[in-house]
Amino acid sequence: MEPRRTAAGGRTGIGRLIPRLPILGDLRLGRRLGWVIFLLIVLVAAIVGYNARAIAQQRGSALVVNQATRQRALVERYTRDVLLVVDGFKADPKDSAEAVRQPVDVLLDGGSVRAPGGDGSRVQIAPAQNWRIRRKLENDRRLIDELITIGDRLLKRGPDNPQYEADVTKLRVLGAQLSSVSNDAAQEITQQTEASISRLVRIEIALGLLGVLAALALGLVLRRAGTEQAAQFRSLVNNSSDLITVLAPDGTIAYQSPSVQRVLGRPAADVVGTTLGDLVHPEDRHDVNESLTKLAEAAPGATDNFGCRLRHEDGSWRHVESTCTNLADDPRVNGLVLNIRDVTEQAGLRKSISDLLHNLARRSQGLVDRQLELIDELERNEVDPDRLQELFRMDHLATRMRRNVENLIVLSGVDQRRRWSESVPLRDVVEAAVAEVEDYARVQVAGIHDLTLSGQAASDVAHLLAELVENATSFSSPTTRVEITGGPTGNGYVLEIEDHGIGMSDADLAEANKRLAEPLSADVAVSRMMGFHVVGRLAARHGIKVQLRQSWFGGVTALVLLPAALLGSAGQHPAMAPPVPAGVMVSPEPLRLADTTAPGWQPHARLPLRRHAAPAPTRGGDTDAAAEAGEPFD
Amino acid sequence: MAWTRAGRRWSWALALVLAALAVAVPLTVARRQEPPPRGTPVNLELEDFKIQEDAAVVPAGTVSFRILNHGPTTHEVNVIRTDHDPGKLPLQRDGLTVDDEAKGIDAVDDVGGLDIDDRETLTLDLTPGHYVLYCNLEGHYLGGMYAALTVR
Repeated sequence: MEPRRTAAGGRTGIGRLIPRLPILGDLRLGRRLGWVIFLLIVLVAAIVGYNARAIAQQRGSALVVNQATRQRALVERYTRDVLLVVDGFKADPKDSAEAVRQPVDVLLDGGSVRAPGGDGSRVQIAPAQNWRIRRKLENDRRLIDELITIGDRLLKRGPDNPQYEADVTKLRVLGAQLSSVSNDAAQEITQQTEASISRLVRIEIALGLLGVLAALALGLVLRRAGTEQAAQFRSLVNNSSDLITVLAPDGTIAYQSPSVQRVLGRPAADVVGTTLGDLVHPEDRHDVNESLTKLAEAAPGATDNFGCRLRHEDGSWRHVESTCTNLADDPRVNGLVLNIRDVTEQAGLRKSISDLLHNLARRSQGLVDRQLELIDELERNEVDPDRLQELFRMDHLATRMRRNVENLIVLSGVDQRRRWSESVPLRDVVEAAVAEVEDYARVQVAGIHDLTLSGQAASDVAHLLAELVENATSFSSPTTRVEITGGPTGNGYVLEIEDHGIGMSDADLAEANKRLAEPLSADVAVSRMMGFHVVGRLAARHGIKVQLRQSWFGGVTALVLLPAALLGSAGQHPAMAPPVPAGVMVSPEPLRLADTTAPGWQPHARLPLRRHAAPAPTRGGDTDAAAEAGEPFD
Repeated sequence: MAWTRAGRRWSWALALVLAALAVAVPLTVARRQEPPPRGTPVNLELEDFKIQEDAAVVPAGTVSFRILNHGPTTHEVNVIRTDHDPGKLPLQRDGLTVDDEAKGIDAVDDVGGLDIDDRETLTLDLTPGHYVLYCNLEGHYLGGMYAALTVR
């Protein structure tokens, strides 16, 4: 029967009173187990108590027997002393008379006697309880009184007494009777003591047997509880929708939960002994190996998460997310434990959303491109400065719309970027990014080295830089400048985008850097800080590292580390060169405008000339205000 | 009414206890019943320090001595055939106990270790003659703990 539990899951009955035993780990103590433990404790206490009582009784009994046997010796001594004195020899029967009463009085009425061992201590003896012993001792005392009466008479009257011979005979007979009676009493006491001790021993043996039975019952209950708990654990593992996999140190699967049949259509026995890499999609294998290797080298108990695709028995791929824990130091596991969850349905849903997002963005992108072409045509034919100014503003808004659309495409996860087969000068990429920004007039580019950037990454890097520069101009005063500088490092090239704005709190900076390092998939949270996620995703595509820091002069510095693999020498001439916008300050060399007729350069090659800059909003302030101001990371 | 599982268990336990009592009680009662004495019964009552008998003369043949010790100490009963005066039996060298190996004494049987309230039956085939029954613990005989019996 299952133990009753309270609403809070606690135990009831005696089980509630028994504390959790640490040696049992998380084993739950049911009511039955509680009773068995309680019984065991009672039995052990009873055995200990009876032992103590038996030892005490044995010691007391030895003293009682000693007193009883001493009685006989004292009677014989008294009788001898009286006869010696009467016959004219020297003796002390008075002392003997006092001593002869002592043992029987102590045995009958209780009292203290000198302890054996000669240390002078005294031990208390309880009055005799057994009725036979008491009757014999009372008879003893009566005979002693009679003996002393006759002895006193003999001592008092001496040999001249006419009853002398009769009294002597009577004294000897009484002495003999007392010896017999005292001996009988001593034997009775000895027998009773032996019987009592024997009874205690029998009770102890019975208690010991009961204790053994209780211990056996405890063992059986514990074993049953352990079996039930193991069965419960097995049931949980078997029926769990998650896979539980244990990887041995050599990388083979040491244990696989049976739920693999449901998730991957394979029996667990077929999976055990193989390597996890056999199941992982080839494209994911490198990342999985890297994660597992790092975790195996990490401290015991460390965890890591990764996602990958696993091959189903029918050939399809199942998307899974795994939480992996290093339990190599646990002798019961001795490996990495993977808790793998099938997220194929979620992945499908996410892909559907991404496809939807991408399709909508692509349509919008086409419309915006056509709109920009139309504005371009109008700008070329317009001669009225006021109308031209209006057209520039329209151009700028359309450019911003285009980048927003491109952001959506990036977030949809579709890698549909523009690529050039040849390398592009880094300076041109920077300038193209600046040209995308409304407040380009406040941007100062300085010290960019003569390097080229891989054509595969040029478009994404320009997009990334444009987002960061627009963020810098939006969150700084319109009267301040935003500076872009560059410098080589040991493993690449660093671009610094520094503003003199209001800066960011440390917490906001940490959050922003987290978003940059670990961009999330498209969801509601992403829509709130789209710019950071877009930058993070673009950076992740090419192994670029982006980090925000507090600027020494107030404001924020964005560091963009371009890996050496993306860079080349200046000998590789660019296939594109964005045009220099009016008012852009370039040092040491002026910006060159992109050649819009160059093949493959469409969106970023365009650069609308801007005359006005929107007022800068407060960084981290009202979102709507930032949106109206053209805040790119909103 | 349908019996519960616990109810059935209790019923089995009660039935077992009753069965055990049904076996144990008759056996116990049977043990307490003494068999009827064979031959001529003679009741002996012992106490410090005398023996009381309810018959001083009995016919020859089987005699059953039914002995009861009133105490208050342990006693014994020795049966000898002798022509000595019951009060002047020869003593051992200690002068306190009867010498039952002395000349003129024929030890017949004895019962020892009779504690307080102990009962014992001693059955003897006695031929005609004089017998003495006494307790031979130290000083008991000298204290007057003996009785004479004549068998005809």
